Amino acid sequence: MNSPKNRVLRWGIAPVGALAALGLLASCAAGPAASPKTDITMAVTGDPVCLDPQQVTLTTALNIGRQVVDSLIDQDAETGELVPWLAESWETNDDLTEFTFELRDDVTFSDETALTADTVVKNLDALFEMGSTASLASQYLAGYEGSTAVDENTVTVNFESSNAQFLQGASTITLGLVSDATTELSAEDRCQTVVGTGPFTIDSYVANDSVVIAKRVGYDWASELRGHSGEALVDTVTFPITPEAGVRTGGLQTGEFDIIQDLPAVDETRFDTADYNIYARGNPGMPTSLVPNTTRPVVSDEIVRKAMLLATDRAEITALTGSSQSQPASSALSSATPGYSSQEDAMAYDLDAATALLDDNGWVVGSDGIREKDGQRLTMSVTAFYGQDVLEATQIQLAKAGIDLQLNIVTAGDFFGAIATGDYDFLSASLTRTDPDVLRVTFSKDAVSKWAIIDDAELESLLTEQATTADTTERTALIAEIQEMIIDRAYLIPLLEVAQVHASTANVSGLTFDSSSRLIMYDVSVSE
Amino acid sequence: MTQVKAWASYLLPKIGQFLFVVVATYTLVFVLVHFLPGDPLIAALAAKGGASTVIDPAELDALRVQYGLDGTLWQQYFGHLVAAAQGDLGVSISTGVPVTEMIARAFPFSVQIASLALLFGVTSAVLITFLAYAAPWPWLRQLLLQIPPFGIAVPAFLSGLLLISVFAFALGWLPSAGARSFDAAILPAITLALPVGALFFQVFSSAVLEAQNSPYVFTAVAKGVPPRRIFTKHLLRNALLPSITILGLLIGYLAGGTAVVETVFSRDGIGRMTVNAVLARDINVIQGVVLVVGAIYALVNLLVDVAYGFIDPRTRIGGGVPSRARLGAKK
Repeated sequence: MNSPKNRVLRWGIAPVGALAALGLLASCAAGPAASPKTDITMAVTGDPVCLDPQQVTLTTALNIGRQVVDSLIDQDAETGELVPWLAESWETNDDLTEFTFELRDDVTFSDETALTADTVVKNLDALFEMGSTASLASQYLAGYEGSTAVDENTVTVNFESSNAQFLQGASTITLGLVSDATTELSAEDRCQTVVGTGPFTIDSYVANDSVVIAKRVGYDWASELRGHSGEALVDTVTFPITPEAGVRTGGLQTGEFDIIQDLPAVDETRFDTADYNIYARGNPGMPTSLVPNTTRPVVSDEIVRKAMLLATDRAEITALTGSSQSQPASSALSSATPGYSSQEDAMAYDLDAATALLDDNGWVVGSDGIREKDGQRLTMSVTAFYGQDVLEATQIQLAKAGIDLQLNIVTAGDFFGAIATGDYDFLSASLTRTDPDVLRVTFSKDAVSKWAIIDDAELESLLTEQATTADTTERTALIAEIQEMIIDRAYLIPLLEVAQVHASTANVSGLTFDSSSRLIMYDVSVSE
Repeated sequence: MTQVKAWASYLLPKIGQFLFVVVATYTLVFVLVHFLPGDPLIAALAAKGGASTVIDPAELDALRVQYGLDGTLWQQYFGHLVAAAQGDLGVSISTGVPVTEMIARAFPFSVQIASLALLFGVTSAVLITFLAYAAPWPWLRQLLLQIPPFGIAVPAFLSGLLLISVFAFALGWLPSAGARSFDAAILPAITLALPVGALFFQVFSSAVLEAQNSPYVFTAVAKGVPPRRIFTKHLLRNALLPSITILGLLIGYLAGGTAVVETVFSRDGIGRMTVNAVLARDINVIQGVVLVVGAIYALVNLLVDVAYGFIDPRTRIGGGVPSRARLGAKK
């Protein structure tokens, strides 16, 4: 028979043994020592899904693709000025239907083939062929007629009608150049690997795990906007795919990551210290807004839309849902877009003016606080696939004026399904573009993407005119006129300027944004 | 010869059951996926094109043919079923990669953490049960029996983040994310082991503690057999049948239940792939994954049934008596 003492002893030994085993396991698994910082790590938020920057518009994919693929021209993110990159010079004809690029003669792709005028022709032809599989590119190439290699280094691109946004489009990663061999692959195969002329090459891509890019030896054709010339300053960049924000910020604090994508707004104060750098830039293009379908009963009433514009407090929306780095929306274009002109005064928050406007036009507050007019309730819905917090804040603000905004949050697929059938009161989304032509894309009846449904001949003619105006000063004046008209007639209720906010440890330097707010890592270096 | 016959009459219905489960799973998913509102092709285009997506009807039709989504529902139902039987699960709409390739890529990562979790969970459940069995004081036994339910009560995203902050960020012993090295599997496996171990513990410990009151244990104690020997020789064996049943269910749970853990720990795997596929309405991937997971689940249960036949000959000699019914009838 066992004595009680013996049992207690035996009972006590087991957990000690278990703990010892666990400790042994843990010590085997201890992490490696700190490595020299020529190999750096940037945690990204999601799987890039497709690496081909010509096809995708996901921020993660573009932030990686931008390092691998160069463009014909480069755009200064601050001034909007276009400067040479792979093309030494370019010229356009007067009605913006013909563009001629003179290429550098020393550029090679990472598969050792040379960049020639023929490559550019193959790139554009293949892109046009892909159609809506490469949706953004197809919009930059609207009206594409064809391109010709005039000689080894001269290429001419022709359009059936004026295309004012093409030149700016040529500076984006979407029209970045890939090798001849890549252009011959199917759209699916191009997603898995991409061969460009950029300062880095794709070293490995493991879906849902990581992407590794490595320095391109012999790279020597950076644009003048970059901080140095020659090869990139780090050897490799690893992008672990880290969807959980807490893991990204934790990893930045412990030094597991050097840079992290998408710093959550709540963590901004925590990292706003001397130990870290925060990088922020507003997305150019159209801010997150309510985009109307004016064929719908209540939405068609300009008075209602104006009241909505006045009853939305954009400063509060930014404080509640945006980054501390971003500005309240103040026009149909975000402040980072070339040609932006502030409409702040015309759309300033004024709840009293909004209610007075509705009162004067026969909208009477009903028993449940929602206004009515001739038996018609002042209720509308908004269809969106992200930004629920922004819309909830808007909903609460509009309710104070007796306006009922119903939220209809759907999947991305259903959102574009609604656009295809025109079945919505308002859409809510933002649209990232570096050219003010985004206004035509959003508001014109003839634009392929057709978001807003508006029947206004005056607006339509201005939108068409700016797209065919080559003179910059003249075009800027037209763009300003359009912004004024859109806010004056309440064709858009802007809500929030979206910003890209990233963070790094303080020893990282040289991380910059391009004009479409994607990251450029060419100048990045990390001191010990 | 009679032995072969007995085995055949025991096994054949179970194999039929296996096939039925797989086909029924496929049918159910097919119906669910096709009656959900929204067009999977537009969803796939939107996933790639983001805010710049444009929808061209002619192009949609071409893509429908490319991904085997044309024709009537019956044509699609039987077409996909026949293709699946031949090992072809189609092509992912959002990534363009064959579904079998995607599953083959992600599967080993999930198997890695699932089997580790099973090992951790079962080992700790047996250990705690033994400690409770051998506990010298009743209050200690009660305390030990109350610990495992916490494993179910704490959600995986919370326990996972806690483990990351302690072992990866504060102590720096283990990596916080990824599936690149073996040690990266330890924290996710522990996170998964908590609910798995707790469920196993509930069944295992009650079987052991119930058997503890039986006459043969009383006899063994009277004969002076040491407690550890009683535990391993008498109690463990009797707890084997219900334990194997719950093990079969747990393996099924693990085959599909790794999504949260894989997201928190930034690991590739079947669970996260399924979540992504559902969000992108990628129906070829959803069908492929559910079919594979369903088949694994049915296969594990088939193996459990076969194991019954070995462990307890009564279930086999009895002919077609369903083993679970026998279990349910246990006093």
